[in-house]
Amino acid sequence: MTVGATTRGLPIEIRGLSKHFGTVRAVDDLSFTVEPGRVTGFLGPNGSGKTTTLRMLLGLVHPSAGTATIDGHRYQDLENPTSTVGAVLEATSFHPARRARTHLRMAARAGGQPDARADEVLGLVGLSGDAKRKIGGFSMGMRQRLELATALIGDPDVLILDEPSNGLDPQGIAWLRDFMRYLAGEGRTVLVSSHLLSEMAQTIDNAVIVSFGQLKAQGTLEEITAGITSVVMRARTPEADRLAGVLTQAGMAFRRLSHDEVAIDGVTPEKVGPLLASNQIILYELVQEGGDLESVFLTLTSGLGFGDVAESL
Amino acid sequence: MIHALRAELLKMRSMPGVWVSFGLVFPLTILLVLAVFASAGGFTGHTFYFVSSLRERRELLGAGYFGIEVLAPVIGVLCVTSEYRHKTMTTSLVLVPVRSRVLLAKVITVAIWAVLLAALSLFAVLLVALPWNAALGGVTSQVTDQFGAVVPGLVASAVLLGLFGLGFGTLVKNQVAAILLTIGGTLVLEGILEVLARAIFHYDLNWLPNAAGAALAGDIARGLGGGGGGNGQSTGLRLLTWWQGGLVMLGWGLVPLTIGYFTTFRRDVT
Repeated sequence: MTVGATTRGLPIEIRGLSKHFGTVRAVDDLSFTVEPGRVTGFLGPNGSGKTTTLRMLLGLVHPSAGTATIDGHRYQDLENPTSTVGAVLEATSFHPARRARTHLRMAARAGGQPDARADEVLGLVGLSGDAKRKIGGFSMGMRQRLELATALIGDPDVLILDEPSNGLDPQGIAWLRDFMRYLAGEGRTVLVSSHLLSEMAQTIDNAVIVSFGQLKAQGTLEEITAGITSVVMRARTPEADRLAGVLTQAGMAFRRLSHDEVAIDGVTPEKVGPLLASNQIILYELVQEGGDLESVFLTLTSGLGFGDVAESL
Repeated sequence: MIHALRAELLKMRSMPGVWVSFGLVFPLTILLVLAVFASAGGFTGHTFYFVSSLRERRELLGAGYFGIEVLAPVIGVLCVTSEYRHKTMTTSLVLVPVRSRVLLAKVITVAIWAVLLAALSLFAVLLVALPWNAALGGVTSQVTDQFGAVVPGLVASAVLLGLFGLGFGTLVKNQVAAILLTIGGTLVLEGILEVLARAIFHYDLNWLPNAAGAALAGDIARGLGGGGGGNGQSTGLRLLTWWQGGLVMLGWGLVPLTIGYFTTFRRDVT
C-alpha cells in the first residue's frame, strides 16, 4: 500500500477556541495540540463540540474566539490546502448521480492534482472496481471509503477524520484502523474524532477528551488511563456510615453512591486498603474503577467531577 | 483560481439536470422556428413561408431565445443549489477554502455553460431553418445574414440570465424554490405585474428580469421569442434600450449574488 512520497506531518494547534451559537457554547475556550506521526483520538459524547471544533479547524465554521491552525496557518490561508490537509466530514456529501471516479477527479482538479490521481486513491481505499458506479448506489461503508479517498487526493500531511467508522462493518472498521495506523506510521498527523471508545482504544496513540465543549484530558492513552486509574475506588459495605466517618477523619474525598456503596476519590488500593483494615470495616466489595479508555471517558464526561485530570497530566 | 474553475466545470458536466436543460432547449427552439415560418406564412396565405423581412429573419435566428430565457436561469440555479441539496458544499469548501474563489468559479462556469446553451440553440435553428427555408423557396442568406445583429444579444442574455439564476440560487438555497422563483417569477408573475402596472398606474414595468432580458436580446425577443411577461409585442410594453436592459440584467444577477454571498455563502457550514 503506497499513499505517496510525502511523510512530513504537521502539528495542529487549537488555542482558546470558542464557538457560541446564540446562547449555546458549543466549544468553550478549547486548547490542545496534535502531534505528527501519531493517531490522536478526539473523543467526547455526542454534542460535546467535536464536529464544531473540526469544522472551525477547516474554516467551515467561524470561531467566536481563539485560533485553530495547521503548522501555524489557518486552513483557508494554506497555499495548497488539499496537499496539506485531507478531511473526512460527512458520509452523505456526494452528488448521488455522480460517478466515484468523476467525484474524485473533481476533487483532484480542485486541488491541482492530475486526473490520474483519482484512480490511485480509488485503489488505495479498495474501490477500483466501483470507479464507474454512481455514488447514489453506494453503501454507507463504500461512501466512507470514498470520503477517505477524497481526503487522500492531495496526498496530505494531515488527516482529519470526523467519525470515520460510522456505518462501517467490522471488516471495514478493522481496515480503517490499519489504514490510520499506516498513515501515522508514515509520519502524517492523524486526528480522528469518535464516540466509539472500544474501537478508538485499539487505534489511537494520543487522546483529547472533551465534554460540553471543554477540554477534560489530553495526553497519551497511557497517561490518561494512568491518571484516572489512581483516583477512584468503589467500596460496598454494610457499614457505609462508619466508612464515611473514617474517610472524613482521614481527609479523603468520597461520594455516597447508594446506601451501601461509597466511591473514594483520589486514592490507590494501597492507600485505602490498610485504612479500611485498621478500622475493621466489613467489605463486600472493593473495586478499583477505571483503567480502560471507556471508563476514563465516562468518568471525565459524566460530570461526576473526578478532578481536573487535564491539569494533572 | 483555475483549479477551482476546472472543478466547477466538471461538476456541472456531471449534473443530470444540466443535460436535461440542454436537451429541452433543442425541441423548444425547433418549435419556435416552426412558429416563425408559420408567422411568415400568415401574411402570404401559406401555412408556412420563407422568412423575408428583417424582423422575420432576426426572429428566426433568435428562435432559441425562449428556451434560453427559461433554461439559462435553471442552469445558474442548479450550479449552486445542488451543493446545498446534496450537501456537497462542505466538500467544495474543504477543497477550495476561499469562498469568494468558489463563487467566482461558479460565475464563470455558469457563463460558459450559458454560452454553450446559446450556441446549441443557434445550432438547432440552423439545423432546421436552413433546409426548411430553402425548401420553402428562400435562400441561405435569409437565415444567416442577421447573425451579427442577433447573436451578441442572444449570448449576452444567456449569460446574464444564467447569472440571475445563480444569484437567486445563492440567496434562496432551496433548489425547487429557487427554480420556481426564477422561472415562475419571470414568466408568470412578471407578466401579471406588468399588466397590472399598465392598467392601474399606466406604468411600463420594463425593468424586471424578463423584460430587461428581452430588451438586451433586442428584436428577437420582441416577437415570438419574447415569451411571457417580457414580450414587448404581446403586452405593448415599451422595452428599455439594449444597453439599459443589459445593465438591469447585470443588476438582477449581481444584487442577489452579492446578498447571497454575504448572507448565505459566507455563513457557517454546520
